[in-house]
Amino acid sequence: MSFREKSAWAMVFILISAGAYYFNKVFAISQALGQTAPPIIGLVIFYVVMVVIASIVIMSIIAGASGKEANAPVDEREKVILDKAGHWSGYVLAIGVFTGMMNFGVTSDGNLLFHICFASLMVSQIAEYGFQILLFRRGV
Amino acid sequence: MAKRPPIGNRIRELREMHDQMSQAALAEAIGVTRQTVIAMEQGRYSPSLESAFRISRVFGVGVEDVFSWEEGQDN
Repeated sequence: MSFREKSAWAMVFILISAGAYYFNKVFAISQALGQTAPPIIGLVIFYVVMVVIASIVIMSIIAGASGKEANAPVDEREKVILDKAGHWSGYVLAIGVFTGMMNFGVTSDGNLLFHICFASLMVSQIAEYGFQILLFRRGV
Repeated sequence: MAKRPPIGNRIRELREMHDQMSQAALAEAIGVTRQTVIAMEQGRYSPSLESAFRISRVFGVGVEDVFSWEEGQDN
């Protein structure tokens, strides 16, 4: 498995874990309030900081184990894979945001719109790394 | 499975003819990763024109001696 594929697997793991933690908190707060929790900026910042720290730690470990390969620039095939994965994940984000907007049009729940948009951002990031793994394995 | 490009190649054969050159050595010579060389050999990736020329120069042959158009797969 190449360094970039290992990195993609690591990012999928980090983002799913952090996303599960974030939405577990949001669901708990929503249940306690009896309505959709408002945007919790502190929790969003905590999520971002945790993702950044976990990425740095895990990527450092993977890079240390991968040696020279970790410092090599992206080659032509990898560039195509990264471009395609980024392109497809953009659709995931767009579908999620559009769904949130449609939901807002029906429910007028701005808090839910925030959570749907934030979830779409998380899912599109996970999808981007998922697409990278798929293309690394399947071919471009 | 992604549709395979209709381009065949003799990279593995030429590597073996050149003192069993490793995939890593060829990858370094043409400036790609070993995984990309593996993908080329398995027909899962068609290299850029620049890489195709680099490969042929490493083996000291023409591009058409390395790559060939596979009839019947281009429909």
